[in-house]
Amino acid sequence: MSPSEIFLSAAIVLLPLAYLVVAIAYGRVFFAADRRTERLAPGLLLAVLTLHLAYLGALTAHLRHFPAASIAEGLSVVALAVGITYALVEWLGRERSTGFWIVSVIFFVQLLASVLRRPEAAHESEVLKSAVFAAHAFLALMAYAAFVMAAAYGFLFLELYRELKSGAFSIFYGKLPPLEVLERMMAGALHVGWIALTGAAGIGAAWAYRLYGPRWAADPIILLTLATWGLYSLALVLRRAQRWQGRQTAVVSLAGLCAILISLVVVNFVVGDFHGFPGAPGS
Amino acid sequence: MGDQRDSRPDLPLLLVGTDHRCSPLELRERVSYSGDAAEELLVHLLARPEVAEAALVSTCNRTEAYVEPRDDEAAYHAVVELAFASRAPELTGQGRLYVRRGRDAAHHLMAVAGGLESMVLGEPEILGQVKQAAALADAVGTSGTLVRRLFRAALKAGSRARAETAISSGAVSLGYATVELTKAIFTRIEEAPILVVGAGQAGRMVARNLLEKGAGRLTVTNRTQLRVEEFLREFPGAQSHPFDDRALAVAAADVVVVATGAGEPVLTRGHLQAAMARRPGRPLLIVDLGVPRNVDPAAARLGNVFLHHVDSLETLIQRNLKLRREEIPRVEEIVEEELGHLLAWYRGMEAEPLIARLQKQAERVRRQEVAAALDRFPAETHEQIDRLTRSLVRKILHHPSKRLRNGNGEEILPHLDLVRELFQLDGEEET
Repeated sequence: MSPSEIFLSAAIVLLPLAYLVVAIAYGRVFFAADRRTERLAPGLLLAVLTLHLAYLGALTAHLRHFPAASIAEGLSVVALAVGITYALVEWLGRERSTGFWIVSVIFFVQLLASVLRRPEAAHESEVLKSAVFAAHAFLALMAYAAFVMAAAYGFLFLELYRELKSGAFSIFYGKLPPLEVLERMMAGALHVGWIALTGAAGIGAAWAYRLYGPRWAADPIILLTLATWGLYSLALVLRRAQRWQGRQTAVVSLAGLCAILISLVVVNFVVGDFHGFPGAPGS
Repeated sequence: MGDQRDSRPDLPLLLVGTDHRCSPLELRERVSYSGDAAEELLVHLLARPEVAEAALVSTCNRTEAYVEPRDDEAAYHAVVELAFASRAPELTGQGRLYVRRGRDAAHHLMAVAGGLESMVLGEPEILGQVKQAAALADAVGTSGTLVRRLFRAALKAGSRARAETAISSGAVSLGYATVELTKAIFTRIEEAPILVVGAGQAGRMVARNLLEKGAGRLTVTNRTQLRVEEFLREFPGAQSHPFDDRALAVAAADVVVVATGAGEPVLTRGHLQAAMARRPGRPLLIVDLGVPRNVDPAAARLGNVFLHHVDSLETLIQRNLKLRREEIPRVEEIVEEELGHLLAWYRGMEAEPLIARLQKQAERVRRQEVAAALDRFPAETHEQIDRLTRSLVRKILHHPSKRLRNGNGEEILPHLDLVRELFQLDGEEET
């Protein structure tokens, strides 16, 4: 094994463990208000994000294309994107109270990526090197990262909402940003995710039609993406029409992410890759 | 009796005081000193020969005099007489006054500054009051090196307690609990319109707390116009709204405080349903301080309506108090740490006289030895021998003296004790 392959094999095991350590550190900040860990946690996160970036860099060099051709690769990119977004939000807002929840989700997504990973093999596919693929993959992963953020903020919104509503004040009350802020962050992430998903789905569908003709719609990931897009569109339309409040939107953001993750796992085991166009070469 | 915990010299400090635990309000208010009275007392205390320095902490819950005594017993009697017995002789009775000396007195002031001794655990005002006490003693000129350093250490302990622990966090009154709930829901309290339904004492109290924390848009509605006018006199920036049209006022508000003497709900589920229809997607906080309740409990089931009554606010207050109580050990740690620094500073002041004694002893030994040996050497070498031995002693003592002089904090204390013991310096006369 080359040094690069050794690093890739080690990093794929180390990354979920490292995120777990960071999640525990942020957990101490949230649950125990530990000031020393509060100073330590952002540095730990930065170190793990650097390791993650190095891993994806090494993977890109090894595969000779952006690592978004498989579900495992895609999930790992999503985990890193969420981590970087959160680190920026934390740095700008000096707000560390949501760290535990966001990093826990990142840990889970990276764990899934590590479990679903298959031995990387470099291939010279023209598809993977095209600019359309890059645009499609970038938008799709950005959408998933945004939906992960929306779900995390949605969860926190629901918990704080429940405590404020019932008057049973426990761990969330007093530690999180105001309800309005959580709702705004959730809605913002949903909008970003929806726009990116619309772009990814549009580019992907047009490109798949050109390559595979009418068979393009038989791909499970495209069907799943369209269903997800429909769900999020409905939520945003109802929200805009002021029929839905924060609570319903939060439920949809959580349900949407669960549906995406479960479907990706199922597709990974049934189809074995992101896309499986019937009759298409290499499917 | 001396302090058995530590044989090293203690702070020369005396505290005599009374607080909410030992005296009822009618006695405390008689020994409460403000402004000129506090200044006068400090001047009188310092005029007594047995008092070297003095400071006074006087709040509604405590009056405490801190002095550096020249004569402990006489200083105690002077403080009791001037600060307490002259105004409330009953305080000299059993258990009304407490007396602390040395490190215990310093520990007490730090605990006071940290909010541990307050009637409401962790209340934030006391830190400002201790700061005022230090400033007053400084201005009057009754504080010297020790008292100034003591108050500086206490203020540091108090500030650290608030910054590093949750001893002052969370609301512990109905008014501030409403403020806390508002901040948990809305991004900016300044932009949240407040409606007070009922212009009585309870409504005004909460309105005061909300305004104090930045709320800017206040509206009042009340059945009788007279009360509304009283309310508007107290809160000139507030607006009034007709009571019969209150559902409309609710729709325009983010926070509704209801505190009327009505025997039945003044805000029904219907009122609130209509109000929420006019403000889709925007949450509404309702704080019902009425007993019996002024808001239909069924309204709590409406989406985005957060209805709280006296009991749920009390639950919140008790939760916050419990969280504050859990912080006591962490504040105690801070107090002990700062007390350690203060004691180290005080004991570090002993280094100079100790060095002087060490040098004097060495010089005495040198002279004795040189005098005994000089006869054996030619006269022309005597001056050289004298210079050589002087230089030798100086060089031998240079490093340890420098180390003792520059040593800081607790780390140097064992060295001082060791030097004192090794060279048997206790009997050496100080120069």
